[in-house]
Amino acid sequence: MTIMMPASDQAVLARREAIVAALRAIVPGEGVIDSPAEMMPYESDGLMAYRQPPMVVVLPDTTEQVSKVLKYCFDEGIKVVPRGSGTSLSGGALPLADGVLLGLGKFKRIRQIDFDNRLVVTEPGVTNLAISQAVAHGGFYYAPDPSSQIACSIGGNIAENSGGVHCLKYGMTTNNVLGCEIVLITGEVIRIGGKSPETDGYDLMGIITGSEGLLGVVTEVTVRILQKPETARALMVGFAQVEAAGQCVADIIGAGIIPAGMEMMDKPAIHAAEAFVHAGYPLDVEALLIIEIDGPGIEVDELIKRVEAIALRCGSTICQISNSEQERNLFWAGRKAAFPAVGRISPDYLCMDGTIPRGALPQALARIRDLSEKYGLGVANVFHAGDGNLHPLILYDANRPGEMAKAEAFGADILRCCVELGGVLTGEHGVGVEKRDLMPDMFSEIDLNQQQRLKCAFDAQGLLNPGKVFPTLHRCAELGRVHVHGGRLAFPDIPRF
Amino acid sequence: MDTLKVRDAADVEQVVRSAIASKQPLEIIGHGSKRQVGQPMATNALLDLSALNAVTSYEPNELIVTVQAGAPIADVLSLIDSKNQQFAFEPMNTAALLGTPEIGTIGGMIGAGLAGPRRIKAGGVRDHLLGAHAVSGFGDSFKAGGKVVKNVTGYDLCKLLAGSWGTLAVMTEVTLKVMPRPESECTLVLRGLDDLTANRAMTAALGSPFDVSGAAHLPDSALRASADGLTSFGSQQAVTLLRLEGIAASVAHRAAVLGKALAQFGTAETVDDAASAAIWVSVRDVRPFAADGIFGARPVWRIVCPPAAGGALGQQLSRDTGGEVIYDWGGGLIWAALPSRPDALAALLRQRVNAAGGHATLLRAPEEVRRNVDVFHPQQAGLAALGERVRHSFDPKRILNRGRMRRDSST
Repeated sequence: MTIMMPASDQAVLARREAIVAALRAIVPGEGVIDSPAEMMPYESDGLMAYRQPPMVVVLPDTTEQVSKVLKYCFDEGIKVVPRGSGTSLSGGALPLADGVLLGLGKFKRIRQIDFDNRLVVTEPGVTNLAISQAVAHGGFYYAPDPSSQIACSIGGNIAENSGGVHCLKYGMTTNNVLGCEIVLITGEVIRIGGKSPETDGYDLMGIITGSEGLLGVVTEVTVRILQKPETARALMVGFAQVEAAGQCVADIIGAGIIPAGMEMMDKPAIHAAEAFVHAGYPLDVEALLIIEIDGPGIEVDELIKRVEAIALRCGSTICQISNSEQERNLFWAGRKAAFPAVGRISPDYLCMDGTIPRGALPQALARIRDLSEKYGLGVANVFHAGDGNLHPLILYDANRPGEMAKAEAFGADILRCCVELGGVLTGEHGVGVEKRDLMPDMFSEIDLNQQQRLKCAFDAQGLLNPGKVFPTLHRCAELGRVHVHGGRLAFPDIPRF
Repeated sequence: MDTLKVRDAADVEQVVRSAIASKQPLEIIGHGSKRQVGQPMATNALLDLSALNAVTSYEPNELIVTVQAGAPIADVLSLIDSKNQQFAFEPMNTAALLGTPEIGTIGGMIGAGLAGPRRIKAGGVRDHLLGAHAVSGFGDSFKAGGKVVKNVTGYDLCKLLAGSWGTLAVMTEVTLKVMPRPESECTLVLRGLDDLTANRAMTAALGSPFDVSGAAHLPDSALRASADGLTSFGSQQAVTLLRLEGIAASVAHRAAVLGKALAQFGTAETVDDAASAAIWVSVRDVRPFAADGIFGARPVWRIVCPPAAGGALGQQLSRDTGGEVIYDWGGGLIWAALPSRPDALAALLRQRVNAAGGHATLLRAPEEVRRNVDVFHPQQAGLAALGERVRHSFDPKRILNRGRMRRDSST
């Protein structure tokens, strides 16, 4: 592990047996796990290079239990790491040696399906895909579709503000959530929003979404559901130069077309995917776009024609349009399998997640190529091109001494490059532990202090998920101090009217 | 009262720091178009952002525009319109309702967070604010978000700034998402439905796959007020309005099939393009309750509730109070112009609204009424306390728009 986590509290560790017993009194039976063997599955999340056994695992199944567990930890000064399905790609659910791992896996019930108000009220442990499946009979679905949707929980989606290939048109989690029940570290249960299209007061739902488990533990979620589009068709478009593909993306958006998804793969990614799933991808192109248009049939047919014309004008060397669901799924198969496909050609890979302005795509790719040479590590690039979200996959072999550190340094350079090009460190995977120490590359100390003050409003002792997101932890009292500048003369140099 | 016309973010920092030192709370204004909204404030200096009015950059292909907070809304709208783009959240123009001149800045638009009919499909102001530079009540400039649509780096502070009525921070520059303007639009009009039936028709339309981007209902009594874009309907019958947008062929196709799907609610007429657009401007801006119209003297409430509960709630409110209501967002947004009373009938209205699971803001009322009424919806104690701690984390000395959102802290 190359990242420093907060030092363990020896006093807490010394009380481990008493803590386990106290937790057992709150969550009876198998809901408290403390044997090393049984805790193993909880040692890491989707960022598997990082592992740490927790002090103890608790799996409550009611809000009341969550509240009591948190209140106990608050009273006793014990750190808590919340966890959904454990699919975070940034180490958001990485345990702490002296912390309670609070798993929400038992919150598996969909509480209400309300077609009239177009929403679902669900417990947080329900998977993303299960929500869509539960409302499919009414012609509805839940729009955000992270590629882990078969496994990832909706509570985890809230924590990470998860995206997916369709968020170009339908938004991320934050754009599709109406409300939640959240338990604060003090044990206090708060309801935010609900079935109304907008919350009242400050938009706390907006701040909880994407807060990476640092503000509270969500025990119920209300999400918006949408009617399934009548139809969807995809184009598979190849280019001899990456620049031409980038131009094509810009021109489609510039023409006022917002595809449901617009994905790009570079040559190494295309080759890996094709070898894995035989999607029929051309192997002689430098960049491949998969563009999906959805909506009423008549609209899709017209827009597909317009996109095709733009692609040809941009010099595409191949442009195929899906004529059946089977063909559309085949176009997607390679893209959807890109990560495991790359896993086949390299013992290990690191998946990065920066976002850049769409127009900077060719520059970003050139920089990544240079860095690849500098570090002597291969890279395959998969992008959500429509929204400028890059997923460079850095190829390395963890069994070679020093190579993982080298891969991480390469990844950090890519993310710094994203920020330099006007973008951000993470588009959808979250900061977690993975990008924590890069935060100062994007934010000043003042920016980070303001974010941490907000954390103080929810968790003044810093007990929830410490060591994630923020590289340096400050005491709330210190952050809250207002510095009085200058003398008593008000507004000396500002023009008055 | 001093008006401090700042020229840049450094000026804003200086003003806020001086205000902290001299313990003088500030009222933050752009053009001042929405000064009548909120609890009356106890401030004795104005921080005027109207000179911070530049467009920093507009990149149509990136779907973003970056402007200073004091940029006039009208200028920014016409700029993006020149590239066939728009703010998809359809910002409300409050001039008619509040009886102000046609003014307003981007900062005010975000601070108020008032989205129009398309909110049901495209989201609100909060969904389109990608990044901001702002000065907190600590007197420090900070950055929130970024300039790209997909960003989960750190807390999403932009969400808090939208709709915070200037009580958290003074925005100096913002980046907003823009979207292509639809090539054409069409409104289906159903006539003569009562509020409950109209609510069902809108629910059916919004639950269809036809991508309805506006669903409003205007009872006949509300149509007695003369309002641009609505006059052709007369006031004999209520109208239920359903908007479809997109490429022409798609709009025509969807209008036909949606009309058929709603046959049980009557035969839908269609209104196209410019006339359709005029209807939705009028709905967006709540023109029937315009300050210079027949309901102009009444207090106006903005009620947000579960959409399918809107018809019953609105009908009950108008029956119990003799007030007028207009429905948008398929019933999820109710504008209610109630008879004038010293308390704007707040207790009665909020009791009904709470029962329906909604919340209500007194958007227009004379100052003496606002002084006696909670303008923003009172919250359950734990939630209110959390909101107060959040506010405190931005502005512990209550320098910015002190007391605008909460009556108990206004003095």
